[in-house]
This record gives sequence, C-alpha cells and structure tokens, in this order.
Amino acid sequence: MTVPFLQIRGIRKEYGAVTAVDDVTLNVEKGEFLTFLGPSGSGKSTTLYILAGFENPTSGDILLEGKTLLQTPSHKRNIGMVFQRYTLFPHLSVGENIAFPLRVRRLPKAEIDEKVRRMLKLVRLEGYEDRMPAKMSGGQQQRVALARALAYDPPVLLMDEPLSALDKKLREEIQYEIRRIHQETSVTILYVTHDQEEALRLSDRIAVFSRGVIDQTGTGPELYANPATRFVAQFIGDSDFLKGVVAATSGGLADIHLGDETVVTGVPVHGKATAGGNAAVMLRPERINLSRTAGTDRAGIAATVNDITFLGNNTHVATVTSANEALSVRLPFGDTAINGLTTGEKVWITWDPATTHAFCD
Amino acid sequence: MSVMTSTTSFAPELRQRRRPSGFAYIAPALLLIALFFIVPIASLLLRSVLEPTPGLSNYAELFGSWTYVRIFANTFLVSALVTLLSVIIGFPVAWLLAIIPNRWGSVLFAIILLSMWTNLLARTYAWMVLLQRTGVINKTLINLGLIDQPLVMVNNLTGVTIGMTYIMLPFIILPLRGVIKDIEPGILQAAALCGATKWQCLWGVLIPLALPGIASGALMVFVMSLGYFVTPALLGGTANMMVAEMIAQFVQSLVNWGMGGAAALVLLVVTLLLYAIQLRLFGVGRIGQEGQ
Ligand SMILES: Nc1ncnc2c1ncn2[C@@H]1O[C@H](COP(=O)(O)OP(=O)(O)OP(=O)(O)O)[C@@H](O)[C@H]1O
Ligand SMILES: [Mg+2]
Repeated sequence: MTVPFLQIRGIRKEYGAVTAVDDVTLNVEKGEFLTFLGPSGSGKSTTLYILAGFENPTSGDILLEGKTLLQTPSHKRNIGMVFQRYTLFPHLSVGENIAFPLRVRRLPKAEIDEKVRRMLKLVRLEGYEDRMPAKMSGGQQQRVALARALAYDPPVLLMDEPLSALDKKLREEIQYEIRRIHQETSVTILYVTHDQEEALRLSDRIAVFSRGVIDQTGTGPELYANPATRFVAQFIGDSDFLKGVVAATSGGLADIHLGDETVVTGVPVHGKATAGGNAAVMLRPERINLSRTAGTDRAGIAATVNDITFLGNNTHVATVTSANEALSVRLPFGDTAINGLTTGEKVWITWDPATTHAFCD
Repeated sequence: MSVMTSTTSFAPELRQRRRPSGFAYIAPALLLIALFFIVPIASLLLRSVLEPTPGLSNYAELFGSWTYVRIFANTFLVSALVTLLSVIIGFPVAWLLAIIPNRWGSVLFAIILLSMWTNLLARTYAWMVLLQRTGVINKTLINLGLIDQPLVMVNNLTGVTIGMTYIMLPFIILPLRGVIKDIEPGILQAAALCGATKWQCLWGVLIPLALPGIASGALMVFVMSLGYFVTPALLGGTANMMVAEMIAQFVQSLVNWGMGGAAALVLLVVTLLLYAIQLRLFGVGRIGQEGQ
C-alpha cells in the first residue's frame, strides 16, 4: 500500500488548561481539496497552524510523503498559506510580493519575472504588477496572497478563512476562482471555513470539527445523507430534531416512538441505542411531506402551522408539533399542499424513515 | 450593518458643523502657545542680528572661527553617534517589548519608565561613577585582563556619548514599540512560510515596516541631542564642548546674547531642515501603514 500524501496523526494541542485540538487524525490525498468545517473555537486554525509550523503540537505527528514535518521550521516547510487577514507586505508592490518567496530562494531574476507573470495570469491580475497592496480591494489582495503562496509550487496550500472579510457576492466570485485555480494547479489544499455553503461548494471532502475533534470526514453528499453525529447533522444542511424513545433495535436500525401516537420504524440509528433509551430523530425540511388530511397509519405526526414564508423556488412552512417541538417543512414551488394553507391550520407530516437518522447519547 | 454605514456617512457632516465652535474653544490656548513659542524665538533671532551691532557679524564669527566650528562638529558627531547607538540598541528592545507576553513586557516597560522618571542629574552622576578611572567598568575590565590601563571614559566625548545614549534610549524605544506592535503578526508568519529566514524577515519585512517609526524616533533623538546640556556638561571635558554648553557660556559667563542667539538659531535651522526631510520621506501620520 502506498503511503498517504499527508498524514495528520493524533494531533493534540493544549494551551495551559485549554485543549484547542483534542485528537485529530486525518489522511489527505495528493491534489485533494479538503475543508475543515466547524464552529468558532473548534480547533481548525490551530490544526492549520501546526501544519504551518507556527505552533508545535503537544503530541501527535504530521507526515508529508511519509516523512515527519515537525522538526522542520516554518521557512523550510515549503508550505503555502493564505490568511484570514490581509498579510501582503505593505511596503512591496504586487509584483514584489509575489516575487518575495522566489527572491529569498535566490532564483535568477529572469526566472522570477517569468514566474510572477504566470502567477498574475493565474489569479487574473495581469497589469497590476506595480500596484501597492493598499490600493487594492480586499478580494484583489487575497488573490495576490494566493499568487504569492503558489509562486514557489508548494506541495500543500493552507487557507484559513481567506474570504471571511469579503462580502457575499465577492466571496462567491472568488470561491469559483479558487476552484479553478485548484483544478489548474492540482495543488493539495487544506481550507478552513465555518460557512457550510462555502465548504460544500469548494471541497472534495469535508472534515467537520467540533470541540477539537473531527466528528466525521466525507464528501458533502455523504455528510448530508449520512451524518455520523447529531452535530454533523446540524452543521451540514438544515435539520430539526424530535425527541423520541427507542422501542426496539436491530442491525443499526431502530423503531422509535414519538409521543404516544407516532411510531417510526427502520430508522438508521447512531450512538448507543438501547430499548427504552432516548433518541433524537433528525428531519430535513426538504425531505418531509405535508398533507392536510390526517393519515391513518402511525408513521406520521400531527402539527400546527405557525408561519408560511414564500422564498421563490420554495416555501418554508414553520410548524409546531403537539409536543411543542419546532418542525420546518420546505415545499418546492408548485406543491399543491400549499394552496390555501393558513397559519393555525392542523397538518399531517410524514417522511421516509430510511432518509432520517436517529441519534442516541 | 446598515446602521453602521449610515453613521459613518453622517459623521463628516457632524464634524464640519462642530468645527467653528471647537475652534473658538481652543483659540485662547493656541494664542498662548504662540506667545510662549514664538516670542522667545523671535527675540533670540532679533538679538542675534542686532547685538552688539546690527548685521550678521555674530554669524560670521560663529562660522569663521575654528573653535566654534569644531564645537558644532563635535555636537553633530556626538548626536549622530548617540542616534545610531540608540537605534541599534533600541530596536531589539522595542521589538522584545512588542512581542513578549504581557507580564514580562510590563516588567521591562516599568524598568524603562522608572529610569526615565529618575532624576536626570542623579542618572548622569551615576554614569560618572561607573565610567571613571576607578569605576566598576574599568575595574572589571582590568580584572578580566582585557585591558592594562583604565580607559578614559569621562571628561571626553566617549563619556558624553555613552551617557546620552542611555538618556535617549526610551525616546526611541517607546514609539518604536508602538509601531512594531501595530504590525500584523500574520505578515511575519507569511514571510516565514514564504521561506524567509529570521534574518530575511528582519531585513526584508520587519525593518522596512518599522522604518517610519525608526525615522521619527531617530529624528527626535538627534534633535534632542543637538541641544542637550546636562550630560555634556557633567560627563564631557572642557576641551570638547558641545553647542549647548557654548550657548550657556555665551549667555551666562560672557553675557553675549548675540552670539548665544546665533548659535541657537543655527541649531533650530538644522532641526527644521531635518524635519522637512523626514516629512518629505515619510509624510505625516503614515507611520505603521497597513495592508488595507
Ligand atoms: N494562543 C492561544 N492561547 C490560548 N488558547 C488558544 C490559543 N489559540 C487558540 N486557543 C484556543 O483554542 C481553541 C481553538 O482555537 P482555534 O483558533 O483553533 O479555533 P477555530 O476553529 O479556528 O475558530 P475560529 O472559527 O473562531 O477561527 C479556542 O478555544 C481558542 O480560544
Ligand atoms: Mg480560526
């Protein structure tokens, strides 16, 4: 078996009493675009900083092509990085910024000039060579930072929320640029964000961080369809959770009571499921059906409409169950169940149990 | 967000409307400052061209006499040396102050402030004791076998340079510390990842970014040194006078206000010239220019 390109092995980082990264293990393939997704303080940046060599892990190891990186100082790691804040050298022009890593490597001038030209073309900033960073927009500055980080052909490019300071429209524009650049250069990218949409749009795989550990790693569709933990289910896509009690389990599936009336059977279950134990059933607003006549079976749940919001291609119906739990339903435009629906109306909600998940503590 | 934008767009109007009344408040203070600064300078200028007889005789004498020119040369030499030494010693200290953890930083900071607040004469006499023939420094060097004869470090320009460098250091450390603190740490991290060694980071990034701070600190030290009196008077010798001592002699011993005024004005003109050069090179308020 070949060694994985980049291995993060049991990384742990403590700052005094604070454990910033608990136990992160991950293999990254060459050329992969992998995103660390997680809420603030979940240890994404710390992991990236350890990769960059700005911090030493309390324990664990990092291997690039089978060789440990930990003994190599930052300036010899040959890793590229784009930061959240603008970090262009303010006293150097755009061209000089991109040339900086090549100059410190003492490359011949002709080679440097050629490379700077190619990099400016890559990030579509031809003609900006003599501009000073202070005279450029935030988006342009981050593109220059990207060019500077790629100028020395690093095997790995780290990006720590590079777009978080930009407004939404510009952010989307540069997301596509980053994707294109990734495809053109086939550099391995580790990208940090707390924006799930950004993660889904950019990444080959996503590692979901929660309190210093990776809860789950997978492609966007995998995480969406099969979240391993309640946290992942909450973080990727929208979801509501209904409190239930496990009636019976077999082979990773469970039958679950929701209140007195409803029983859902054959729900994929995660965590320690035991009969009589509590479970939270996850429902995706776009994967449930709403009808205005109560069903006869016990596989649905009664709810009251609280609010109806038309959102163009879909309509969002906020309901509340008899157990007073919020449950959102998203109906595509043209769904006949909407016609004449009013707030306060009783509705009947059903779903395919195989598409839901239950989480036990 | 929208609230933010609206307040910022209103702000200039508010400021403009307030300006006249604000100015009215500070006008008396401005007038007072003008009186305090302009009157003495103007009177000096007048005396230098009027006493003892109207004309430029004072200036002719000042520039015509080898003795006086040498005093000026000494002064510029010592000031330049003090400035250079202050920058060389002050930069690493300022950098240390800017990066070390708060607790140790404040200890170091307190030491520097404390030395600044200690009486100037006391500090200068302390140096006299340290530097004299039988002082701690000479004794240590002799005991270590590094020298045979004690070094002569008082009553000459060496003593003046050492003593003044010590006095001037805080004036360069404190502003530089601010400038270095304002440098985005990510910029240095980016430089490191780009492959720059510590040395390359220092010369290629940190020093260029700190340059406006270095320049303003250096200018301040140089200008203060040009007119410094206490240290040269105590640690310097009679053979190597500096301009401030010369002015004091003109005025106090010789009661020659004309020559004193002329010497003071030469210093003032040099200072203004240097300040103009600094403005030219670095502009006003561009210290610590940032990425955005
Ligand atoms: N230098 C430090 N000293 C002490 N605690 C730290 C330090 N750096 C990070 N931490 C703590 O470690 C935890 C993880 O921080 P980290 O910056 O990795 O989070 P993050 O996932 O990048 O969050 P964000 O999205 O806010 O950037 C946080 O609780 C943080 O307070
Ligand atoms: Mg972070």
